[in-house]
Amino acid sequence: MLQLEKQKKGKNDLLRLIGEVDASNSLILDQAIQELIQAGISTLLIDGNKLTYISSAGLGVFMSYLEEFKEKGIRMVIFGLNEQVIEVFKILGLDKLIPLVKDQAEAEAHCHEE
Amino acid sequence: MNKFNPFSLGKISFLLAILVWLALVTVDLIRIFGMINNLESGISEEITWTLELLFFSMLYLLYRHIYRKMRELDFLTLLWRGTSTGIFAAGAGFLTDLLFFSLGDSKISSDPFLKNIFYHLNFAFTSAFLISTTLLWRHLILYQRSKQVVNQWQVFEVMMGIALFFVFFNQNKFDYSFFFGLIVLVILSLLLSSNLKWIPYLNFKEKWKSLLFLFLIFLCASFLFYRILSYGNEARLQINLTDNLFLMGLFAFVFLYALFSFLVTLFNLPTSSVFEQKLTEAINFQKLSQSIQPEENEEKVLDILLDSCVGASYSDGAWLEIKSTLGSPVLMPPQGLDSTTQSALSKEISSMNHVASWEQDSGADQISPLPLRLSHDTFKTALLVPLLINRRMIGKIILVKEVKEGYNKEMLGIIGTFSRQACIAVENHQLLKQSLQNERYQEELKIAQRVQKALLPVRLDHSSAFTLCAYSHTADEVGGDYYDTYKENEHTYVLIIGDVSGKGTSAAFHMAQMKGVFQSLIQLEMPPAAFMEKANAALSKCLEKNHFITASIFRIDCEKKEFTHARAGHIPTLMYKAKEKKSALLEIDGLGLGILRNQTYQNHVYEKTYSFAPGDILVMLTDGILEGKNQHGEQFGYERIKNLVEIHHHKSPEDIQQLLILALHDFVGGDGIIDDDYSLLLVKFS
Repeated sequence: MLQLEKQKKGKNDLLRLIGEVDASNSLILDQAIQELIQAGISTLLIDGNKLTYISSAGLGVFMSYLEEFKEKGIRMVIFGLNEQVIEVFKILGLDKLIPLVKDQAEAEAHCHEE
Repeated sequence: MNKFNPFSLGKISFLLAILVWLALVTVDLIRIFGMINNLESGISEEITWTLELLFFSMLYLLYRHIYRKMRELDFLTLLWRGTSTGIFAAGAGFLTDLLFFSLGDSKISSDPFLKNIFYHLNFAFTSAFLISTTLLWRHLILYQRSKQVVNQWQVFEVMMGIALFFVFFNQNKFDYSFFFGLIVLVILSLLLSSNLKWIPYLNFKEKWKSLLFLFLIFLCASFLFYRILSYGNEARLQINLTDNLFLMGLFAFVFLYALFSFLVTLFNLPTSSVFEQKLTEAINFQKLSQSIQPEENEEKVLDILLDSCVGASYSDGAWLEIKSTLGSPVLMPPQGLDSTTQSALSKEISSMNHVASWEQDSGADQISPLPLRLSHDTFKTALLVPLLINRRMIGKIILVKEVKEGYNKEMLGIIGTFSRQACIAVENHQLLKQSLQNERYQEELKIAQRVQKALLPVRLDHSSAFTLCAYSHTADEVGGDYYDTYKENEHTYVLIIGDVSGKGTSAAFHMAQMKGVFQSLIQLEMPPAAFMEKANAALSKCLEKNHFITASIFRIDCEKKEFTHARAGHIPTLMYKAKEKKSALLEIDGLGLGILRNQTYQNHVYEKTYSFAPGDILVMLTDGILEGKNQHGEQFGYERIKNLVEIHHHKSPEDIQQLLILALHDFVGGDGIIDDDYSLLLVKFS
């Protein structure tokens, strides 16, 4: 089961993932991100505090937007992931491509660093 | 065994009947001669009676035989047979009368011999008519056999048998015993005459015909009866054969049954259309119940349903409305009205409030036809018949009638049953089609499974420096796990294990691509990191946008006793070191293949060289094993694998592999399913 919550905070767009992302619902996540891109966002903060599990299909969704984000200058930061989920990102090497930080404050700070 | 041929039985009885009749005529003429000349002919009455009895018996046998052969004929043909016999007998009687009338008062006309010969002839024909008609009635009475009817008939036959011998006791006189016997026979005939179950099976036209035949039989019987009575009162010198209880009983029975049949048929005439209607309904019902063949379509069933509904309700017009996704329903070509009237009526019906609420109710299991009053000039009533398939209303049949309140409760009932039956037939048809299609898909998947199995190596390359074994399981028919081996030269080997993101068919296609990439790049004999770079470049061109592949590659140098390893996002490999008696993960960074689809990938892949010693073990996995969950939601994880390898390190790779898989299944539990592909490649150095 996956629930998505969108929130807009100034320049930052927040997408909260609640539950599990697997092959059966990765399309919903994909659609949500697509909609955000079409809305013309510049920073995307992903709240993973309530994300309990992510499968390879879920990782595939994040991975598939890397290039597009780079082209359009959109910054994506994921925060609040539990250790198990972080491990999954790390094994695949995605932690080198997507900033994974501890909490929302850190995520916001990260976006405005440069 | 001496078995009578039924054909010869008929002939024999016919021949015997004629012989007996001739004997009877001879005997009687001799007796008359004696009477005239006041001579004792020495022939007693009993001989006449015995011959008469024999004659009746022969006729009975003959007609029993004839009717047995005609069992398959329909009622009208049988009735016609009876009628024709009657007409023949009556005609013969009439001609006799005509002959004697034309002779007038001449001497010859009062000749007792001539008169008696004609009398005997007429007697024979009348008997034949009565016996044949009685057996015809028997056939009709026993048309629907029940034990009770059969018993009644048997009692009647026994009584008739007794009546046959009655003449010996009563000496051929009209006395009380004669009347008593006759009354018994009449009562029995009355009882039997209530068995008229064959009549409803006649249609309207057949009923008219049978009325005519029955009337003719009745007429013939009356005429013959009249002649017999008048003969009895007429001549002095005579042999009376016809004042016989048996014959009188037959007359009574033939009369009564003909009369009853005639009246019942007459009164059944107005309702015969109802019976015919019910019969058509039953046939329609049977047609609807027949399952549709897969190559036929559902419209055929709906057409039959439409026709059945129109027939069952005497509707003047009807059409089929199928719901469409575009809002307004699709109107099928109407029956009995033109399309402008149809669309006008359809508009009126759909504008009614209770029609909408009736359609809303279609979620319920039972929804009965809805009768409506219309304001149209010609059509005054309508009936809506729902078509519910899989609890969803796919449309409706609209029946219209030119009279007000044209649909009664019985019609609603039968039409409701029709529509339910038709919908069940359509549902079954859909299920059948679906299951056939599923079967085809299953077949295709089986082929895919076979093809994919062939992509995994059957023989694994290995040397004296190490032994290895592999195992792969797919959650679905096909999966995305991959392993392979390659022998570069006598002492250099390459092993790879990989996992495509996702599972099922799409994963299987990518796995096949991975195999192609591995088998072609590895020919170039490049170091692991370089291989990953090239593989990434190649796969970037062919993987779907959100798919990636993880892989671990090992290049083993048996001479130097070392291996070089690169990891592209794959779960780390476990290495057991015999010297330390401990196992640990080979930690090395590396990004999955297909994630970065450009030159920058080379910044994200590394390689490292490890040395190995005899007894060391490499456990390469895919994540399906680690993620196997028990009932509490815990994952199998690395720790359990580590412990297992440390305990069983001295065993062969096959044994360790077996133990691992068993442990995994134990952990997941008896009913648990491992809902992911998992593979295992075990290497033991020696």
